[in-house]
Amino acid sequence: MVLCGPSGCGKTTLLRHLKRELTPVGTGSGTVCYRGLPLGEWSPEIAAAEIGMVFQNPEAQIVMDTVWHELAFSMENLGYPLSVMRSRLAEIAGLFGLEPLLYKPVHELSGGQKQLLNLASVLVLQPKVLLLDEPTSQLDPIAAREFIQMLRRLNEEMSVTVIISEHRLEEVLPLADRVLMLEDGKLKAEGTPREIAVKLGGGAASPSDLAYFPAATRVYLGLTAEAALEGAGPIPLTVREGKQWLQREWRTDREGEGARPSAEHHSAAKEAGGSQRSSIPSDRPSEESVLAEEILKAREITFRYEKEGPEVLKKLSLSLFRGELLAILGGNGAGKSTLLHLLNGLAKPQRGRIDLAKGSSTGYLAQNPLLYFSQDTARAELRQMAEYGGLSATEAQEEIDGLLDIFELGELLERHPHDLSGGQQQKLALGMVLLLRPDILLLDEPTKGLDPAAKEKLASLLLHLRELGKSIIVVTHDVEFAASYATRCALLFDGGITAEGPPETFFSANYFYTTAVNRMVRDWLPQALTVEEVTRQWPAFASRS
Amino acid sequence: MSSGFRSMHPTVAIVYYAGLVLFAALLFHPVYLMTELIGVLGLLLLQGQGKTLLRGLPFYLLMAGSVAVLNPFFSHRGSNILFYFMDQPVTLEAILYGLMMMLVLLTILIVFVSYNYTVTTDKFMYLFSSVAPKSALLTLMSLRFVPLFQRRLRQITEIQRTRGIDTSKGSVRKRMKDGMTLLKVLLTWSLEEALQTADSMKARGYGVSKRSSYANYKMDRQDIFVLVMLVVSGLIPLLGWLQGYGTMQIYPRLKPLEYTWQEAVVYASFCLFVLIPSGLEGKEKWIWRSSQRTGYPSAIPMKPGTRFMSSRSR
Repeated sequence: MVLCGPSGCGKTTLLRHLKRELTPVGTGSGTVCYRGLPLGEWSPEIAAAEIGMVFQNPEAQIVMDTVWHELAFSMENLGYPLSVMRSRLAEIAGLFGLEPLLYKPVHELSGGQKQLLNLASVLVLQPKVLLLDEPTSQLDPIAAREFIQMLRRLNEEMSVTVIISEHRLEEVLPLADRVLMLEDGKLKAEGTPREIAVKLGGGAASPSDLAYFPAATRVYLGLTAEAALEGAGPIPLTVREGKQWLQREWRTDREGEGARPSAEHHSAAKEAGGSQRSSIPSDRPSEESVLAEEILKAREITFRYEKEGPEVLKKLSLSLFRGELLAILGGNGAGKSTLLHLLNGLAKPQRGRIDLAKGSSTGYLAQNPLLYFSQDTARAELRQMAEYGGLSATEAQEEIDGLLDIFELGELLERHPHDLSGGQQQKLALGMVLLLRPDILLLDEPTKGLDPAAKEKLASLLLHLRELGKSIIVVTHDVEFAASYATRCALLFDGGITAEGPPETFFSANYFYTTAVNRMVRDWLPQALTVEEVTRQWPAFASRS
Repeated sequence: MSSGFRSMHPTVAIVYYAGLVLFAALLFHPVYLMTELIGVLGLLLLQGQGKTLLRGLPFYLLMAGSVAVLNPFFSHRGSNILFYFMDQPVTLEAILYGLMMMLVLLTILIVFVSYNYTVTTDKFMYLFSSVAPKSALLTLMSLRFVPLFQRRLRQITEIQRTRGIDTSKGSVRKRMKDGMTLLKVLLTWSLEEALQTADSMKARGYGVSKRSSYANYKMDRQDIFVLVMLVVSGLIPLLGWLQGYGTMQIYPRLKPLEYTWQEAVVYASFCLFVLIPSGLEGKEKWIWRSSQRTGYPSAIPMKPGTRFMSSRSR
């Protein structure tokens, strides 16, 4: 079962109500029943063991210092005898492949491994119901996929009931039996993924609701007329289904011609895609603006953290042009964050140099916005920053007011920074960085943990900043984000930039490292990366061919 | 890497080291002390800890040596006055006593080097948690926080520097204020996370029933055998000590050492106690060296005289 809905719609609260130990303090009504009995009437041992919960933040859930101890912790709590603990630990360690990590200290694990460990340490109690509160929001896509696959195995092979709340539904939704969509604490829609898609796709849905669906479904909904929705074949949920559907669609459109697209058609498709692109006004800047002035240039920088340590960056060269949004993609530990550190001058490369255009400066937003806060209210944070930035009182007030308008933080000024939601914290931190008036913004994983609506807002914010003449480098795992909003993309691998180019060429050259939409339609529209592009281009393409 | 004595049950190790420290403090006798010192040094070398020892040795020698040098100048007890130093008598007894103190100190320091290598934090916590489970859990959790806080503080310092909060610049007053701010950030952040940790603990049934404790260690027969050996061979010198053996009288007047058969028994037993772990370690080394030797009859017929059966293995 999948729970979805925007941030703050009550997903977490609902999940917490299902777990007795964590039921929030407050006034409540109604009952939650587990196997026919109200949750409160089960013995504490059963309540703890049979309903397991995994939270959002992989780091904060871990209690002990080594992996084996963490796994044993929950069993120790329930007072299991040693022989039972031994066999269960062995079993779970085997299932999760944790054996090589068993004696490692927890802080040496990657985020994905930590979250798997959290899941494993809940599973040693052999729960019948698993509650997961946005478990993959802090993970990179590959770790997230691994985690979801593990859940699927548990669900299919052990028939564990899984209730998961999630923003990133591309992977989860096709596996779900039932989807609940919440809004403002109320149930908005319920049903199988396909039913929900029909219900919400049938015209009434706002674009923000649609953003929860996998790419295939969105393309389908975008291309199919509302009237045809009912009674049409099953709605595609995965890339494979989407592709099959498109193939059928394409064939019926081109009756009489060959069933398989030949090489000719391929080139025709490319042409179609290309010409289509140029005729449609695009939100991407055209080639000329990309060739503007170089504002930041890194030349053959080499960096290692310790004298004896491995080289994190190897002779990396990179340049940033004024007014562009450069997205740097790469796997975990490829050195993306390190690169931003270097560009911001927080660390010095051992070799090579970084040149900034005259009179320009950089501002850096780290992954964790909490690192930025040191005052008691959001207002005090901004004031302090403005003061440090050397603004006079009136200037500061103007700047702050301007920022509040853009960031929609007006009502939150008197709140403690830690009481804001993740997205708001990030906006506040970004606002603080902007008070230093940097010309270049360096953002480290700004989309981590954001729901689709917040992501879109962030994107329009970045667009706005670019209009103000700022140049932006975004380091991200989020392929879809980079494809939709970047002007240029670069792939960081093995300490260097291995591929670079505007999104269309960059992603269409990739086989795996590209958007789900592109993987679905690449046989016909190799340059289409987003749902919008496909919806625009497909009808013209289909009718032409 | 754990092998030999290090791979034994923690109880065995703790009994051994407790015994060593106890004997070093009680048996005030040069022969016993030298035996213990040499025994532990031998154990360390067998465990391949020569380098660690060498690194610390100058410091230990300085500490222990200074006791030996200083004692005669401050203590004037004893009846054999050797000479006068700045009008103060320097006695033979005081010099000998200082040398003995040096031996005791050196022994205890080196016992702790070996202890640190053999009894890891994990093993200690295992022993501790069987005595006081709750405090052990608390200690373990706090132990985890030390490196965690260090890492976090480093991150915070780095980022706050970009907003002018920096402990390496400005007046002393400002630096102190900034330092406090950094700590405040660390604390708020960590408390916030601690709430989630508490949730996670509760969700996994903490405090629901009496805790049991998981252990990676199992007492096997060798562990029990060695433990019994250690206890028996340790009790004999202890009883001997109560009878007045194994000590040497220096103050107020040096007494010559006496040798009786009872003394010999106590000493032999003491030697056994000190050398058991070295024996285990040595045995393991020897088994590795001669691993070609088959310890049990094999079904695979071994033809005599092939070139694999070198002269050494026979």
